[in-house]
Amino acid sequence: MKKIIMGDQIFKAFGEGEEKRNVLGGVSACIHEGEFVAVMGPSGSGKSTLMYALSGTDGIDRGTVVVDGKDLSGIGESELSDLRRTKMGFVFQQPTMLKHLNILDNIILPSMRGNRKNVALITGKARSLMKRVGIFELEKRDITQVSGGQLQRAGICRALMNSPKIIFGDEPTGSLDSQSAQEIMDLFSEINAEGTAVMLVTHDAKVAAQTERIMFMRDGAIVSELKLPKYDGRELDGRIERITDKMRESGI
Amino acid sequence: MYYRIIRNDISKSKLITLTTMIFVAAAAMLVSLAVILVIHLSGAIDTLMTRAQTPHFLQMHTGEIDTARLAEFAEQNDHVDDYQVLEFLNMDGARIILGDNSLTTNIQDNGFSIQSEKFDYLLDLDGNIIHPSAGELYVPISYMKDNTTKVGDKAVISGKALTVSGFLRDSQMNSTLSFSKRFLVSEQDYAEIKAHGNTEYLIEFRLKELSNLGAFETAYASAGLEANGPTVTYPLFKMINALSDGMMIGVILLISVLVVVIALLCIRFTLLAKIEDDYREIGVMKAIGLRVSDIKKIYLAKYSVLAGVGCVLGFGLSLLFKGMLLGNIRLYMGESPHASLAAVLGIIGILFVFLVIMAYVNGVLRRFRNISPAEAIRYGISQEKTFGAKRLNLSGNRLLNTNVFLGVKDVLARKKLYATMLTVLIISTFIMIVPQNLHNTISSKGFIQYMGVGDADMRLDLQQTDRISEKADEIAQTISGDNAISKFAVLATKTFQSKKEDGSEERLKIELGDHSVFPVKYSEGRAPAAEDEIALSALNASELGKQVGDFITLVMEGKDTDVKISGIYSDITNGGKTAKAVFNDASADAMWYVIFAELSDPSLIDSKVSEYADRFAEAKVSDIDEYIKQTFGPTISSVEKASYTAIAVALVISVLITLLFMKMLVAKDKHSISVMKAFGFTSSDIQTQYISRAVLVLMIGIVLGTLLANTLGELLAGAVIASFGASTFHFVVHPLAAYLLSPLLMIGSVLIATIIGTSGAGHLKLSEHIKE
Repeated sequence: MKKIIMGDQIFKAFGEGEEKRNVLGGVSACIHEGEFVAVMGPSGSGKSTLMYALSGTDGIDRGTVVVDGKDLSGIGESELSDLRRTKMGFVFQQPTMLKHLNILDNIILPSMRGNRKNVALITGKARSLMKRVGIFELEKRDITQVSGGQLQRAGICRALMNSPKIIFGDEPTGSLDSQSAQEIMDLFSEINAEGTAVMLVTHDAKVAAQTERIMFMRDGAIVSELKLPKYDGRELDGRIERITDKMRESGI
Repeated sequence: MYYRIIRNDISKSKLITLTTMIFVAAAAMLVSLAVILVIHLSGAIDTLMTRAQTPHFLQMHTGEIDTARLAEFAEQNDHVDDYQVLEFLNMDGARIILGDNSLTTNIQDNGFSIQSEKFDYLLDLDGNIIHPSAGELYVPISYMKDNTTKVGDKAVISGKALTVSGFLRDSQMNSTLSFSKRFLVSEQDYAEIKAHGNTEYLIEFRLKELSNLGAFETAYASAGLEANGPTVTYPLFKMINALSDGMMIGVILLISVLVVVIALLCIRFTLLAKIEDDYREIGVMKAIGLRVSDIKKIYLAKYSVLAGVGCVLGFGLSLLFKGMLLGNIRLYMGESPHASLAAVLGIIGILFVFLVIMAYVNGVLRRFRNISPAEAIRYGISQEKTFGAKRLNLSGNRLLNTNVFLGVKDVLARKKLYATMLTVLIISTFIMIVPQNLHNTISSKGFIQYMGVGDADMRLDLQQTDRISEKADEIAQTISGDNAISKFAVLATKTFQSKKEDGSEERLKIELGDHSVFPVKYSEGRAPAAEDEIALSALNASELGKQVGDFITLVMEGKDTDVKISGIYSDITNGGKTAKAVFNDASADAMWYVIFAELSDPSLIDSKVSEYADRFAEAKVSDIDEYIKQTFGPTISSVEKASYTAIAVALVISVLITLLFMKMLVAKDKHSISVMKAFGFTSSDIQTQYISRAVLVLMIGIVLGTLLANTLGELLAGAVIASFGASTFHFVVHPLAAYLLSPLLMIGSVLIATIIGTSGAGHLKLSEHIKE
């Protein structure tokens, strides 16, 4: 299967001088079209940094990242923005919404960049996505007037607006109760089943167990990987057990 | 703990702290300067007037004088402490040559005196009474200021050679706004030149108590003593001495108020932004039981350091700059004895600024009480009402580009935040336009109409001459036969007795003739048209307590005649107390004539002025433009300088505040910028959004600022003009400069500041800010 994202020998450090800390020490990773991947590891292991590096939202010190055939080091800021807008979607742990826009406006925002667009078409798509994730009636609400779970669904709608090839999720269920978290995971599975690749960064083995490949990170390196068959809603406990075994094995 | 918090906070926001401190320092400096200048000015004027022993009452007089009767009056009046009559030898400017310069075109009444024996002394620059020796000439200080002459120059007065031995301070006539200037010579030289000029008398009184001045004035008027000329009293001398520097102090005070307001706005803005940043922490502190006063202390501590350092810096700067501004006061009036008091009061001034700032910070922090801990911890932002912004939806936007839309929406959603920037831009526009319009107005030709002078090309003054009426007729005849002159008017000033309601009489100088040819501006009513009408100068109207439509009783040809007041106008000529009427009265003699003329070809003014000056030696002929230049020249040029300075100050303020504001906004908006960037908005998209915000606020600011400048600004400028004797006036606006050039300058500088201030906006590390 075609690789949609390919990272090779990625180095990334934060801080300067004595405070310099290597977060990624030569990591190589790739994601295929339509794949459902999770990255796990303890805090500070570099999993979020890897995600930001692979999506081009953060620069790297050394190495190569290729997204959909384009080497990110060779393109300018505008092209990178275009790439993020058209090929990728993002869902974050905290509701990353603009507080002065209502839910609908926040969702259509990525599609509204640039000059006049077909607003009716864009709004229509947003409404159908909202209907699908069950927040259709909230379009006029302010972001402070809805629950965390509803906000996260709105975030997923926003990520899907430009029909991306891959969605990145940074602890997307981290601040939700277990029922809301499961509903969000079901949504990700649905989206993935329709062919969009998904890469999730998570602490939660239950979340990771619903993906098909898990990369385990420690001290800025991928120390092991676990492949699972596509999740069909059954044997979740067994999958979780396999993950915990693998983590123990990898010293995580 | 406070030290650590303050240090961390300042090091995190260096630019913001620095800008705020600059404004605090500027405010403190200006307030301190204004205080120091006021103390110096009042001290210096007092010293000058005490040393010179300025008369309390001065009656200028031309013509016959009965000194014995005056002496008897002085003897018998209980209020009089001392009395004297001085001679003032009025001489044509062409007869006065100082160094290489002749005073031919000088419009002042230049004259010669000998040193007084009893009071009203002319002083040297050290404040000592001058005793000139034969051959020595002491020149009024204003001729030193304008570089007409210097010590050691040869002077030729009506053919008599003298040497400029020094400059003198005249407590009566120092100011360029006073129309006479006294030169000092020895008695011997005075006797020699006496035949070449006209003698005027200065009848002077010192009173035992200045508070009896009013009673004395009435007594003098009712005694029917010599009064063929203007009357000036001690308070007026004081005012004329204080006027030009007083205006400068007034402008400094006005600017200092504006800068204090800007400093407070700066503080308000940074404080509100900080509170918003710390919203969650404040909620937590409240939740764990800290008192509001404890939380306030942390913020107050920072601002007390900032305001304290700013104030001390401002005070230091005021000491550094005071020399520059005191120069004029020192030159014209000498040193003040209260120099140390000035410094002490300067400190009190900056203390006041400090306290105002702290009180303001305390006021802003009052909003802590309204923060709900639960809400703050949950949302981390204040649940501010955003009225007006909600109706504006991106999904309903068909008109604007998305970035422009987001910019406009942000301004509407955070009105309180942008109100600060808006206020500063309004103030900047205001201080940019008002001095500019004021300068335009006072330098426009029509402006003299506000000052009691008609808008003509040439003016002939005929005074103190024999057969004055015949001469005036002769001039009028010549003018009417002169094809180069398109229109003219002869105005004769005569004195009439007017009866007050209490029966007492007062002299009223009335200018008779056709006032419709070269009209002045009437603040109320109109020019007199019928024989039973009169117009009064604002000063006369207020002194007589009369309004338009009221009547006053004049004694004409021995009979009481009621005349109706048709209008009130502003006047600075002849002590500001004049009147205008059209009736004829052969019984009273004319004191002086003024003949105004307009030329069909204005380029001929110079040649016509010299032609008439040669032909009518007894008349003083002046070009009105020259008259304006010499009378208001220094004022016009200082207002011009002030208007350029104001433009520069306004632009610097706008640039600094915009820069500060944009940097802070970007810092505050890191999270939303990161979100937008993550979803594919480019750096230039983000910058476009900020520019849209700035442009929107700027447009509103310019429109409101211009409106305010033309309403409130006109009123304020009117108040300044009123100090010259004018009562109402309207701005003469240069539309290109005021409505195009100034806004363009403003737009240019604000846009550059916005672009610089937001240049880093798109280059955030997304991963660092997106999780916040």
